Amino acid sequence: MTKTARFAALLLLASSALHAEEKLVVYNWAQYIPESAVTDFEKETGIDVEYSTYENNEVMYAKVKLQQGKGYDVIVPSAYLVSKMRQEGLLQKIDKTKLTNLKNLSADLLDKPYDPGNDYSIPYLWGSTGIGVNAKEIDPSTITSWADLWDEKWQGKLLLTDDVREVFHMALKKNGFSTNTTNPDEIKIAYEDLQKLMPNVLVFNADAPREPFMAGDVDLGMIWSGEVTMAQQENPDIKYIFPKEGAGFWVDSFTIPTGASNVANAHKFIDYMLRPEVGQKVVEELGYSTPNTAAQALLSETLRNNPVIFPPADVMSKAEFQNDVGDATKIYDGYWEKLKTGK
Amino acid sequence: MKVLNFRRVAIVLTLVWLGLFVLVPHVLVVLTSVMSPDPQHLAVWPVTLASWERLFEPVYAEVFWRSLWLSTLTTAICLVLGYPFAYIVAKLPGVWRGVLLFLMIVPFWTNSLIRTYAIKLILGNKGLVNAALLGAGLVDEPLQLLYTPFAVVFGLVYVLLPFMVLPLVSSFDKLDGTLLEAARDLGAAFWARFRLIIVPLTMPGIIAGSLMVFLPAMGMFYVADLLGGAKNLLLGNIIKNQFLVVRDWPFGAAFSVALIVIMAGLLWLYFLANQRINRQGGLDDEGL
Amino acid sequence: MKVFKWSFIAAIFAYLYLPIGILVINSFNASKYGYEWKGFTLEWYAKLWENEALTQAFLNSLLIASLAATAATIIGTLMALALHRYRFPLKATASSLLFIVMMSPDIVLAITFLIIFIALGIQLGFWSLLIAHITFCLPFVVITVYAQLKGFDKYLLEAAQDLGASESRIFRLIILPLVFPAIVAGWLLSFTLSLDDVIISSFVTGSSFEILPIRVFSMVKVGVSPEVNVLATLLLAISLLLVTFSTLLLRKKYTHD
Repeated sequence: MTKTARFAALLLLASSALHAEEKLVVYNWAQYIPESAVTDFEKETGIDVEYSTYENNEVMYAKVKLQQGKGYDVIVPSAYLVSKMRQEGLLQKIDKTKLTNLKNLSADLLDKPYDPGNDYSIPYLWGSTGIGVNAKEIDPSTITSWADLWDEKWQGKLLLTDDVREVFHMALKKNGFSTNTTNPDEIKIAYEDLQKLMPNVLVFNADAPREPFMAGDVDLGMIWSGEVTMAQQENPDIKYIFPKEGAGFWVDSFTIPTGASNVANAHKFIDYMLRPEVGQKVVEELGYSTPNTAAQALLSETLRNNPVIFPPADVMSKAEFQNDVGDATKIYDGYWEKLKTGK
Repeated sequence: MKVLNFRRVAIVLTLVWLGLFVLVPHVLVVLTSVMSPDPQHLAVWPVTLASWERLFEPVYAEVFWRSLWLSTLTTAICLVLGYPFAYIVAKLPGVWRGVLLFLMIVPFWTNSLIRTYAIKLILGNKGLVNAALLGAGLVDEPLQLLYTPFAVVFGLVYVLLPFMVLPLVSSFDKLDGTLLEAARDLGAAFWARFRLIIVPLTMPGIIAGSLMVFLPAMGMFYVADLLGGAKNLLLGNIIKNQFLVVRDWPFGAAFSVALIVIMAGLLWLYFLANQRINRQGGLDDEGL
Repeated sequence: MKVFKWSFIAAIFAYLYLPIGILVINSFNASKYGYEWKGFTLEWYAKLWENEALTQAFLNSLLIASLAATAATIIGTLMALALHRYRFPLKATASSLLFIVMMSPDIVLAITFLIIFIALGIQLGFWSLLIAHITFCLPFVVITVYAQLKGFDKYLLEAAQDLGASESRIFRLIILPLVFPAIVAGWLLSFTLSLDDVIISSFVTGSSFEILPIRVFSMVKVGVSPEVNVLATLLLAISLLLVTFSTLLLRKKYTHD
């Protein structure tokens, strides 16, 4: 081997080693982090971000589980999966001393039952599931609660999301139970109540609930807060209502899987995402709610005062976040199958 | 050429590929189906038939019949639309035949989910069809087309039609024109020529096309979910839910194995009947 | 009769192209969600130009689809031939396995492929994706080619054999030209299937290689962007150019002959 060749080989080795060090694999929904935030992070740190995407939590979980947490450095699961994945040892503890911007987060969204003390997860974005109304067709002031959806006059008119837990949330809350109940009797009562709701259902929406609202195919039903923000840009008649029994709440958090190979970079990335100006950009581009109070302060008045994004205190005080229900999942799904086969 | 024995290559490739990427995985599925579900580890060892017993719950029979009915209807409509279409296209002069076939397949290169979204825009209350009907004064208020069984069939046929047409076109290619001419000269009416010559000679194409529409349709669910409003479960929904949402992998595996066994049984019956009636036969005289 | 024939063809094409037409129109629609016309714009084209992740995923998809279709067509044609012409052990098992691939729900194939790749130590990415796509395309090629093989004259092949032609010569000179239409059909079906798959791909691909369907469907949280309509339009435009170009070429050839 000539000297130059050896040198070239060394260089190649060194650069690939360097490359491996300066890498970060993020696994997330597509465009769920503003593209400019990712490129700015790359420029600032020299870390090469590989951004891989999934369509839903369930696919992500199955894939991470089968690979035993390897292959990814930062994953953004929803709360109920954070609790499941941390109990199964798929997530590693986050070193909070490395997160200088942690102080920016609101206490309202920290230390929740799905991850006490936030040892494994740092909240990124959150939102709620409430009632959507097309104000052109239905007076929004007449709809105040989940119970209003049971009214006979909505026969064949309603949109429900195609999600077991969200649909049961309505019925559980209507009957005064917790959305995370594992008590079979309570779930049964909710199921029997949902049977009565079925004639009103036009569609279980499997993709994006804003679409049927915007297309004019439905005027009333369940919808996610972020979807309302998006829909209102085109059709301001679509209104959002926090049902008085309690809306459904979800939060997506940054986590680091146990098999991550770039743990230090993962911490750097999470800390970067917690910066106020990054959080501001996230809300402006995505329309979801941020737990970052420092970022909130930077937002324009209209965004900051938009009750869809930042609900009033009385709503927040009742907020119950969706959690993993363990084996009770089977009870819920059994009833779900019955509901959908007309039993 | 002797060195690389053609026959051996074909056989070894067939067995190795299918063995490694189809047989082994499906043996795993069968094994999973007799394991016990476990929320932490997906499936654990004590062997049990519990998942198989659950299959006999009446809910699932209902889901099976609905899926079967929907797939059969879709296959029938694809055949009714695809057969004359393939015939006309196959009889066109060389260049045009290729062009039309190519043009038929081009829309399918856009992912079917994206096209399904577009169908929602066509069938919706304010969609094209209703706009046309209202504009022509045929109806006074929009028809509810979306989220009905009609929309589901409309979408399924849309997604699966080329799988019927392409094998049919290649089987029409082989159809001997002189045979038909002879029949015509001998005074056979169109219907007689159709029944006695065209259909039997294109039977391999009909069977191939029907299989490629029917079998995928049995497991398909997103079209029904998006266009039908997900109000009724199909086999595909149940299996997907068991694997991804409930995470009862043994039950999902048992369900999937049962589906394959039932379908294989149906196919076997069909081929048996087909061979008795008509020795022209289909895809499998030795297979399956 | 002729009028009837052409209106039937036109009706089928209208059915096939109506949804695509909507995508094309919406690629120029200023409205992001496309429920109504809000004016002409080229904004989405410009956005796509800047969206490197999306264009890369699009190119990756085309790459995988053409490689998978080609490989599946080659392997599938050989399989059809083996199943049709040769006797070998486990033949019945082999043909049942092909049906099993078609009958297995996507999610089951997806999970089993992933388990196999992990067990074999195949890194998730380009190769795992390619193998998976070839496998689920295979039965469609085999069935199409097999149906074509069934119909033709056994004596032709026997005669060639008696005259001492080797298997590969028989294949090249007799079988291949006869089943060629079916091979083309098989390739087109495989290419289509590969471009259409979401669920299997999302399980077997890794972070280094992303394809379009996954990218598009993981946009649900923020809404599928109109750039996707632009991609559909471009794909259509390229295909139409291709077909016009090759038609012109072929017609020239025909008139020359």
